[in-house]
Amino acid sequence: MPSASSSFATTGRSRKGEPLVWLTAAGLAIGVLLTFSLLGLVVVKGLETFWPARISLWEVEKGDSIEQMAGFEVQKQNRRELDGTAHAEVQIFRGNRELYGEKFVFVDDDDIRSRSQPEDFMLIERLEGGFVIGRAKELQFADQANLPVSDPSFADRLAEIIDISEERRETLEDIEKGQIGRNAKRVKEVALQMKLQGEQPHFLNEMASLQSEFDELDKERRELRRELEEDQFIIESAEGREITIAAGELLHVFRPNQAGFFGRVGEMFRRIGSFLSSDPREANTEGGVFPAIFGTVVMTLVMSIFVTPFGVIAAIYLREYARQGPLVRAVRISVNNLAGVPSIVFGVFGLAFFIYFVGGVVDDWFYPNSEEPVYKSGGILWASLTLALLTVPVVIVATEEALAAVPRGVREAALACGASKWQAIQRVVLPASLPGILTGVILAMARGAGEVAPLMLVGVVKSAPDLPIDTTAPFVHAERQFMHLGFHIYDLGFQSPDSEAAKPMVFATTLLLISIVVVMNLAAIIIRNRLRKKYATSSF
Amino acid sequence: MSSSTPPNPDPKRFEVSKGTLLLDRVMTQLIRIGGLAVILAVFGIFFFIVKEIIPLFAGAHVAEEMVVETPGGKALVLGVDEWGERPFLYRGGDEVVFVDVESGKREVLPVPSVEGQEVTAVGYDPVHRRVALGLADGRVGSFLVIYETQFDANGERSILQRLEIEPWFDVEIGEGPVRAISYGDGGDKRLMIVSRESGVAALQLAQKRSLIGKSKLTLKSSTDITTNVGGDVSSVVASQNGEAALVAGMDGKVRYFQVDGGEVLLKQTFAPFQGTPPVRMDYLFGGVSVAMTDALGDQKIYSLFRPEGSTVRVFGETKEFEKVGEGAPFFAPSLRNKSFLTGAGKSISVRHLTSGATRWEGEADFEPVAGTIDGKTEHFFLAGKEGQIQRFELEDPHPEAGWRAFFGKVWYEGGSEPVYQWQSTGGSDDFEPKLSLVPLIVGSLKGTFYALLFSLPIALLAAVFSAAFLPHDMKRVVKPAMEIMASLPSVVLGFLAGIWLAPIIEDKVPSILLVCLSLPLSALILGFLWSRQPMKIRGRFEGGREWMVMVPVVVIVSIAAWSMGPVIEKWFFVFKDQATGREIADFRLWWPQATGLSFDQRNSLVVGFMMGFAVIPVIFTIAEDALSNVPKTLTAAAAALGASRWQVVRSIIIPVASPGIFSALMIGFGRAVGETMIVVMATGNTPVTEWNIFSGMRTLSANIAVELPEAAPGSTHYRTLFLGALVLFMLTFLLNSVAEVMRQRLREKNKLV
Repeated sequence: MPSASSSFATTGRSRKGEPLVWLTAAGLAIGVLLTFSLLGLVVVKGLETFWPARISLWEVEKGDSIEQMAGFEVQKQNRRELDGTAHAEVQIFRGNRELYGEKFVFVDDDDIRSRSQPEDFMLIERLEGGFVIGRAKELQFADQANLPVSDPSFADRLAEIIDISEERRETLEDIEKGQIGRNAKRVKEVALQMKLQGEQPHFLNEMASLQSEFDELDKERRELRRELEEDQFIIESAEGREITIAAGELLHVFRPNQAGFFGRVGEMFRRIGSFLSSDPREANTEGGVFPAIFGTVVMTLVMSIFVTPFGVIAAIYLREYARQGPLVRAVRISVNNLAGVPSIVFGVFGLAFFIYFVGGVVDDWFYPNSEEPVYKSGGILWASLTLALLTVPVVIVATEEALAAVPRGVREAALACGASKWQAIQRVVLPASLPGILTGVILAMARGAGEVAPLMLVGVVKSAPDLPIDTTAPFVHAERQFMHLGFHIYDLGFQSPDSEAAKPMVFATTLLLISIVVVMNLAAIIIRNRLRKKYATSSF
Repeated sequence: MSSSTPPNPDPKRFEVSKGTLLLDRVMTQLIRIGGLAVILAVFGIFFFIVKEIIPLFAGAHVAEEMVVETPGGKALVLGVDEWGERPFLYRGGDEVVFVDVESGKREVLPVPSVEGQEVTAVGYDPVHRRVALGLADGRVGSFLVIYETQFDANGERSILQRLEIEPWFDVEIGEGPVRAISYGDGGDKRLMIVSRESGVAALQLAQKRSLIGKSKLTLKSSTDITTNVGGDVSSVVASQNGEAALVAGMDGKVRYFQVDGGEVLLKQTFAPFQGTPPVRMDYLFGGVSVAMTDALGDQKIYSLFRPEGSTVRVFGETKEFEKVGEGAPFFAPSLRNKSFLTGAGKSISVRHLTSGATRWEGEADFEPVAGTIDGKTEHFFLAGKEGQIQRFELEDPHPEAGWRAFFGKVWYEGGSEPVYQWQSTGGSDDFEPKLSLVPLIVGSLKGTFYALLFSLPIALLAAVFSAAFLPHDMKRVVKPAMEIMASLPSVVLGFLAGIWLAPIIEDKVPSILLVCLSLPLSALILGFLWSRQPMKIRGRFEGGREWMVMVPVVVIVSIAAWSMGPVIEKWFFVFKDQATGREIADFRLWWPQATGLSFDQRNSLVVGFMMGFAVIPVIFTIAEDALSNVPKTLTAAAAALGASRWQVVRSIIIPVASPGIFSALMIGFGRAVGETMIVVMATGNTPVTEWNIFSGMRTLSANIAVELPEAAPGSTHYRTLFLGALVLFMLTFLLNSVAEVMRQRLREKNKLV
């Protein structure tokens, strides 16, 4: 088949305007290059944060003395002074915040005497205070002799301690968040009942038993806390100072300079796994983004639950039931244009309508006793509804297109066989246009997952320890504020106190968000192309 | 059943089952209702936003309430408590009458110090509720009206009133009875301006604080300012902080005095009206502006400001109001905002300083001689000649709003000229909100302009190539790739712009200029060289692959131009340090010196670049669609007539598709205007009204994202942000509608060909 556009794509004899053709070619080349370089930048920068770099040891001249510095080279740059002279300097990440105060240090390239990668340096992740870089020295136990690093069983014991601590932390979390939380909730309920109904004896009894239960839990908690702190890991920093980390603080230990390629790949996957599955630490600059992933996914799903039926019904109405005329055409154009209305406008509407108006009514009816607003503040339900409004035009347009693409003959055949109008739609038209509808829904979800501006007004927050769906009754907490990947990027990049330290996390989160959105879009495009092919032969 | 006999034709067999019909009907209704509901809901957004905005443009609402008669003559001073429940009247005698408006009960408190004296002048300061008195024998004094609010066990409010009387002072300057008096109370520092039959005096009072509490008020010094005033005095007013005073002479001139280190100095003389002297001068809330009213009813506002290049604050005319009416004017400032109540004769009006608007106008049943506004600005009172007091309910939640406040130039208090300014919140209670949307609209247009400047050439060139020259199989890959770019979340682009791009291009502006110049140039040169090649070579390559050749060329040229940047900088952009005479090649320093404009790290260039990214795929997709849908009959005809491939594009494809290209431009414009996250993250978000490419801006959308979470629901600020949202909504909706209609027309036209 001769391709449609290649009939003019020949280089004819005439040279007229040929340079301009090349100019347009440059335009396309730039466009494509920009797209791929931007994606490439995000992928490279994102993956870079997971790749375990080797720890370097620098000898840096400082005045008369030589200082040892261990860490990772972040970047080498030319700093231009105001007088125009340029200095080459190296930015080094050296962690150990309690020793140096700053996590980063700039070193003049001229002052560096030597650089090596000693095998015994290790990178330690801990619960609080950021990374530690240094040489292991010894393990101190509460009830037995210290174990120096030279002991052959040192590595095993260290791993064992990390495992035990993790178990203990889990138990502790279960006690603190689960059991004590339930206890406190019950206490609050009983207190409210006592306020309403007077101090009746069975309330007092229950209070007393709750109190004794709490005392017991509290004792258990203290015991666990003490155990977590009793063993200690001593590390020696590059310049010879000691850092003590309680066993309970230890999360992970890795020696990048000893590990081979596969060891480092394994470590990379471990880091990706922990990034995806753990909670953020250190004001979101370390740890994972699990709550943000969870919030994004739940919000997008709830949104699609709202948007799909309504969008499809509106499209069916417009295409199949409404009398086609100037009015319906105007409505169609307007709906189409709503997709181009800035998302922040929808956020403004969501804030005023869902939160202040509907939320206010819900609170008045169902939570008259609550002191704090329940639904009259931002939450995942309102955010989902706002985004549903934002994306409903996308679904309507896509569904209409899909309905219009179903050949007239198919429809007429169904009617000729005696199907009622609804039967024809239900059994013939809708199944045929399902891929198109699906495309619309996926596009809507991709758009919803990437939107941030309206969410800032309707319930997204930088840190929400409680997930919108969890194991405490009533399990689904539609009024809760939530975390979102897109907002996480904004917050980390622009509101974080230590934006330099947050950079790797932002790039990793960006990579994740882009992957989600791009995969969704690709899926939509592929489905759409299949659909086009399917009906390409039919007459329309 | 026997199989031999054919079954009777049963007409029922051909009937549609009831269930099917019922379901069909139900579904029809359901879809109709649902579809209409969804469409209505979507359009409900517009109406809901409008609903939130309407109160901004409504005037004040005033309702007449009860009249209380207090026989005994004309009131000189009318004041009221914070709640608007118990006004008081002072008629110049030795008693103050308090009236409970609900019950009509009267209570009289004596002013013992006045007993047997003749009061010839009265001044009232509504902020402190201080009545200043001047006597026929030239002595001056004052008393304070103090309301004490008490709550009993049930939370019921009751108001108790008392008077605090201050001692008399002898004015040793001038002669005759006191004709005009004003008392400015700044706590420790106080100023009394006294105009007598002949002579004008400024008395400075001091209250020393001692360990036992408040000590006696003493006269610190008195200054004779008669010679400065020159002639008879029409009216006087002392500022509420006790540091300045205005004296209006019968010659129509107003003199502005300031207490400076214990001395009373004349700072400024000005004539607010042509010849006629102001008969009333009253400070507005905040103590920066003074309302002047003359006997003809003209009213002007004078505010303190610092003229450009000067360090001294002087008064200047900032607003002129319509005439207040015929007769002796009265005036009462609000103690909560910059509104005031004024009028003359029977006409009364509520006005607002910032917008310069008359919020409400009406007629009283009697001729008011004095007015007052309660502390919450929820009621105002008027007193008539026969001693009647009428309460009015005043409802004006958004006095500072209005067309002029949002879209016009406004001379704000303290400013040296009328400006467009957005500054919604301030540090103090008497802050004057500056709610001009103009800087935000300009900011939005500025960001959009630079975004289009960058994206339009690339997107349109790419669209032309893709539509006219690109082979079909490549198009199937390239187009989706560009569309993927459209789906990149704007927060990602914003983050890359702010954190990654801005620091990189901060000191590489010459490199960027060079790249922008050299890329098209190299493409043109390459095309020219290629077209000079003999047909034998050119014929070997199929057309439509040029862009793949351009990819490495673009990369190489960009890198080369990028690294040449510093060289260019050394040639053209050399900053000369005036102080040391050293020459530094740095564009960042050169730009402000050469143009007088600022250079920010997060500037419009960064925004334009990244927002361009967001817009390129939008424009590309729509323009490409329009270009590829040009009927093949037209292009084939042109080619058959011997047009070169570029001639086909130039004379057929582009003209035919031009409405489509235009609609692509408008949709791109709409996308860029409403873009939020990129602007929030990549600019400094300062609202400025200028087009400098190296400074930031604040757009309507960014402004909403930054300020709406903190705005109190229902406040003027909140509603003004909604107005911004509506402007955005209307703008993008209109643009998109026009674009869509044009596109549909084009489609139909092409169908006919």
